[in-house]
Amino acid sequence: MNEKTQPEDAVKVSAGQFDRSRRSLNIQREDIAVEVKDLNLFYGADQALKNINLKIPRNRVTAFIGPSGCGKSTLLRCFNRMNDLIDICKIDGQIIIDGQDVHSRDVDVAEHRRRVGMVFQKPNPFPKSIFENVAYGLRLQGVSNKRTLAEVVEKALRAAALWDEVKDRLQDNAFGLSGGQQQRLVIARAIAIEPEIILLDEPCSALDPISTAKVEELMIELKEKYTIVIVTHNMQQAARVSDFTAYMYLGELIEFDDTAKLFTNPARKATEDYITGRYG
Amino acid sequence: MTNSVNRTSEALSDSSYLPSREAMARRRQRRYLADGAARWMVRAGGGGVVIALALIFVYLFSEVVPLLRGATVEPAYSYELPAGASEETPLLGLERYGEIVMRYSASGRLFYFERDTGALLEEIDLNIPPGVSVTSFGNGEPRSRRTVFGLSDGTAIVVDHEFELQFPEEGVRVVAPAPVFPVGDAPVVVDEDGVALTAITVQAAREDIGVAAQSADGRMLFVRYQVKTNFMTGDQQIERRAYELPTLLEPVEHLQLSANLWNLIGADQQGNLIYWDISRPGDALLRDRQIASEAGEQITAMQFLNGTFSFVVGTSSGRLAQWFLVRDETEDAGDNIFFLEQAREFSRHDGAITAIQPEYSRKGFVAVDDSGGLGIHYGTSARTLYLKQVSDRPLTAVAVSPVNNHVVAQDDQGRIHGFSVWNEHPEYSLKALWGKVWYEGRSDPEYVWQASSGSDAFEPKYSMVPLTIGTLKAAFFAMLFAMPLAIAGAIYTAYFMSPRLRGFVKPTIEVMEALPTVILGFLAGLWLAPFIENHIPVVFTVLVGLPVAFLLVAYLFSRLPRHVRNRVPPGWEAVFLLPVIVGVTWLMVSLSPLIEIWFFDGSMRQWFTDIGITYDQRNALVVGIAMGFAVIPTIFSIAEDAVFTVPKHLTQGSLALGATAWQTVTMVVLLTASPGIFSAVMIGFGRAVGETMIVLMATGNSPVLNFNIFEGMRTLSANIAVELPETAVGSTHFRILFLAGLVLFAITFVVNTIAEIVRQRLRARYSNL
Repeated sequence: MNEKTQPEDAVKVSAGQFDRSRRSLNIQREDIAVEVKDLNLFYGADQALKNINLKIPRNRVTAFIGPSGCGKSTLLRCFNRMNDLIDICKIDGQIIIDGQDVHSRDVDVAEHRRRVGMVFQKPNPFPKSIFENVAYGLRLQGVSNKRTLAEVVEKALRAAALWDEVKDRLQDNAFGLSGGQQQRLVIARAIAIEPEIILLDEPCSALDPISTAKVEELMIELKEKYTIVIVTHNMQQAARVSDFTAYMYLGELIEFDDTAKLFTNPARKATEDYITGRYG
Repeated sequence: MTNSVNRTSEALSDSSYLPSREAMARRRQRRYLADGAARWMVRAGGGGVVIALALIFVYLFSEVVPLLRGATVEPAYSYELPAGASEETPLLGLERYGEIVMRYSASGRLFYFERDTGALLEEIDLNIPPGVSVTSFGNGEPRSRRTVFGLSDGTAIVVDHEFELQFPEEGVRVVAPAPVFPVGDAPVVVDEDGVALTAITVQAAREDIGVAAQSADGRMLFVRYQVKTNFMTGDQQIERRAYELPTLLEPVEHLQLSANLWNLIGADQQGNLIYWDISRPGDALLRDRQIASEAGEQITAMQFLNGTFSFVVGTSSGRLAQWFLVRDETEDAGDNIFFLEQAREFSRHDGAITAIQPEYSRKGFVAVDDSGGLGIHYGTSARTLYLKQVSDRPLTAVAVSPVNNHVVAQDDQGRIHGFSVWNEHPEYSLKALWGKVWYEGRSDPEYVWQASSGSDAFEPKYSMVPLTIGTLKAAFFAMLFAMPLAIAGAIYTAYFMSPRLRGFVKPTIEVMEALPTVILGFLAGLWLAPFIENHIPVVFTVLVGLPVAFLLVAYLFSRLPRHVRNRVPPGWEAVFLLPVIVGVTWLMVSLSPLIEIWFFDGSMRQWFTDIGITYDQRNALVVGIAMGFAVIPTIFSIAEDAVFTVPKHLTQGSLALGATAWQTVTMVVLLTASPGIFSAVMIGFGRAVGETMIVLMATGNSPVLNFNIFEGMRTLSANIAVELPETAVGSTHFRILFLAGLVLFAITFVVNTIAEIVRQRLRARYSNL
């Protein structure tokens, strides 16, 4: 009995999100920030990504959904070359950002990572003060002028909607913040170095619903200035915050489309099975 | 209804794989039992460790506590003198078996009586010719038991108040009087003019007997008697050599000769000390004259302390001061020129000092005064161990037992007061251990550790300062060597090295920790120390050469074509430095003789000596390297763990913000790992402080006080290892070695406590693990 009612509810919920939705978006008309071409990725002998082709539009929120182990985080980590840290990882194909393949030899990895910021699943503030956490990226770039740092830190914390909560305790250890605040601090830290793209790897999975709502609001605000890519397990979240959604399964990109369209009228049967809960 | 319930429960019990209710209850019981037992065992284990540590501490402390006790003096008996009570007593003496007292009377008689009862054993009238009277009395070092009576006809009688042990039957020991007259019992001539001797003293040198005296007409005389025994006939022949010394106008009251018959000290009625240099008696010199009294004071007693390197002066106001003969070290002074110098004062007595008797084998003395006070003082430690009024009458004479467990004093009415004394550790005082002490024969107060010597007249020097500084010096140089290598190695291994290489390197370094330190010490002392001595330039060239070579290789590597570089798997680069290290070191070693020839006239060691740097073969550099080698595994292992366990999400977070690997290490990894690295360093330091075998074998063990890297040191731990086997159980030296152990314990305890507090605070700040 239960198994039959649930998907209808799920669809209803996701469909409900779009009662207030704007006109549907067409990927063809979007300005492209990241283009993935024929990407194959191997962990040793295991192929984790299979022939991915994808265009991520600028100043939009793009969500990657799919069951655990489908390769969505791996794909995300390719965008700022975090996979370099894994010895056995081999990559074929191209990821083009600003007309350049990110894996080309000429790319300075550190500078590339500054331009493509990343926020992880678990909030990971450094064992430093709130101020120093946000200032960290600037210090890496050699900024040490106190006034400049203070200005940037305030701007970044305001942009991350955290300023009012922490302005009186900037010198306190960042571990004193709640999980949600820590996650917004980490986002502020990423914003402070003026990236072009922000990658979020399940940013709300360790947060309570109220913190989650705040981070989601933040994402919608941030897309005015940044291209945002988010990996999430939470389909409602993808539906709530994203403009485009990619559904991945077993290392393959199954479907990529306007979020409203993907959730209400998926083109592929596999996608529909997943979003209606018949999968897993 | 009930049926259905039963059925359900039956169905449930059928499908359950758990044991029956009763079995589970029994099992629960057992589990609780095991749980409780385990809890108690853990508690007992932990408590046992704490108790064992506490017991060690208590034991160490119990061995040290007697040092702090001072002296106790218990009145034992009191009786009237058995004979000659009306005569003055210039000297009392005790023997070590505690049975008899020897008393001289001013008229020239020697009484032996039982110590505890006062029963007269023997009375000896000296062979004083009729019509001649005793005009002066003097004594030598107490342990020589030698005294001299100066007579009115310019002659003198020398007496040793000896005793002998007799065993009349099995198991019975009798201490019997046996006075000895070393130059015969007839008076010997001191003054050929036959003038009465107003002051006199005697001293036994190796073969000679020296007598110094002043005649009533003011001449100072010094006579040496040499007793020669004809081995055929057994006849004794006395050879006499007389010298006249320069005189002052004031007559002297007290005279004392040093044991080598080189120095004569006198005290006059005006409170001046006078020093004659009689090392060449033919041209004796009056070297020095010093005022030793305050206004209105007179010198009432003066005695050389054991060894006759320093003497104590007592005055009519109860002041006691220790004076030294100090070598004049100014440039234009010749060799062996001494002058008088007051080194220290002791607690003041209430009345005029009437008699002083030095202890027989230590640098202490007892003094009595005319208000009935008895004082026990000690030179080196400047301590007054006991000072109290013990009699209502003035005390006029005092004797101390050769084994320091008994004191007898005589009052002016001829009454003897006996005291049993506990005074085992007068050498100890806080200042003697931790302050600068002016030792006999030294020109200035110093910190010296020199606990024993072959001579009875030796003054033990127990300054802990050179040992403590030596310990810290050894640990400091070891840390200087080990810390950069171990921490940098740990960071590289944990953060940059490939996992496979790490899996090989880490256990290898940890195995190094199991290397017996005695082997390290052996290698350091017998191979490394001579090697470094012969190749001193290597130390400097390697220090500069290796890092330069590393940078050069790194630069060349970065210039190599990419396909060559890519052949090197990431994290294996360090392997390429191994041949570089070997090559550069070999090059430096083979260049070393050439460098010595080019720049240092062939020998750098000689060059050091020429520019005034002391170079010992076994020095802090050798110890630093050897002990550093022993400490590296400890620091490396803990620091490596600390760096390795820095959460990956922190390093990834940093890298994702555009940090390079090096920026991530310096700004995030080190910060987060700092509590662990800090405790690694502290544990390493604790190990270096307590390390014994390496410092024992490679430091040279000279307790010098400096931070020169080319000189050795002696550490607390090595000192205990060296000296504990040869010290007498229960002696001051023995207890001070235990105190050294406590100091060592205290240093490591303080270091570890500080380390733990700092570590806790760092951890509170940097942990979110």
